[in-house]
Amino acid sequence: MRNLFMSSAVTVAALMACSPIAVAQRPQTLYQKLLAAGNTGGPAPRRDITGFWTGPLTPKMAEMPPLTPLGQQRFKLNFPDPFSEKSNDPWATCDPLGFPRSSTNETRGVAFAPMPGRMVILNQYQRVFRTAWMDGRELPKNIGAKGGPNSNWYGYSVARWDGDYTLVVNTIGLDDKTWLDRRGYPHSEDLRVEERYTRVDHDTLDLALTIDDPKMYTKPFVFATNRYKWIPDQEDEEQLCVPSEAIEYRKLIVVPADQDQAKGNK
Amino acid sequence: MKFRRVACLGLIAGFLMACIPVFAHHGSTAYDTSKVVVLKGATVTKFLWANPHAIISFDVKDEKGNVQHWNAEAGTPQTIALSGWTKTSVQPGDVITVYVFQSKTGNLVGRLNKIVLADGSELRDSALGYKDTDK
Repeated sequence: MRNLFMSSAVTVAALMACSPIAVAQRPQTLYQKLLAAGNTGGPAPRRDITGFWTGPLTPKMAEMPPLTPLGQQRFKLNFPDPFSEKSNDPWATCDPLGFPRSSTNETRGVAFAPMPGRMVILNQYQRVFRTAWMDGRELPKNIGAKGGPNSNWYGYSVARWDGDYTLVVNTIGLDDKTWLDRRGYPHSEDLRVEERYTRVDHDTLDLALTIDDPKMYTKPFVFATNRYKWIPDQEDEEQLCVPSEAIEYRKLIVVPADQDQAKGNK
Repeated sequence: MKFRRVACLGLIAGFLMACIPVFAHHGSTAYDTSKVVVLKGATVTKFLWANPHAIISFDVKDEKGNVQHWNAEAGTPQTIALSGWTKTSVQPGDVITVYVFQSKTGNLVGRLNKIVLADGSELRDSALGYKDTDK
């Protein structure tokens, strides 16, 4: 009887030591809390996505983008993981992410600000803004041609409402030096991107981002989907990639921790 | 009676094994997450509240009394702030205990599990500071 009592006491002690109370729990982000709460905030207002929204670190990404042979070749030239020594990710020294990477990489905050004739789309990461013209103008047809505009980091965008709850943004003129995402998927200058922002209810905004780049991908496809939640107090956060800090990080952490370097494989 | 004792011990062993914390990787496989290196009496020399990751630089004596210069990273400021970190959580001169997963190269660099300040309070890393369920 005494042996059984002792065994039981030890079991109970073991169970108590392993209880969740004894182990620290990782705190949730605001986004995780809002997602879990699942509030709607009431019905979606018509033709209105104005305000500040919080999202996850990255959206849900397509797993197997359908690369063409040329796309495969270009993909092999990109070494992702900006935290590793051999990476050639331009993000490693805080180059602009460009578009659409600004919507596929670090998506913790986005905001929309209508102005006369345009919608201004603001990204929390790097405090980047984009203009999507809504004054009826068309996208430029002569990018890179004589007399036409040049391709650049964030391209040229126009937007329109599709029904009362979806804003459709179309973008072209994207310089091919940027990556589509942190995995290093490439794009050409012929890339056309469509974002569809759908306000599901007052507190919920869904994004579907489609890539159309026949040089690099065999067909148009949905590259990323995301769900943003309305920030209750509408406050934004500062989130920057700072070149001097990135360089210091590389010196103090990335290089000493690099295994290939240590084994003399470089 | 003997069967019952074996069953009880088996139950205890099972529960204890289930409680071994599993640390999820936040991308990097450069660190040995199978064991935590505990460094007592570490003196902070620098604290970078920076992107992409915060970095604590500190000096600690090895068994022979030689001073080792370490750099350990934690998560991004925005994320570790949720775990109680601030820009001034540690200052140069503070003496702390560091729990770190060391680089597989053997260099004096790693990713924090947590630090324990002089007053006994703990600050955990966002990725490797918690018993993890799903990352």
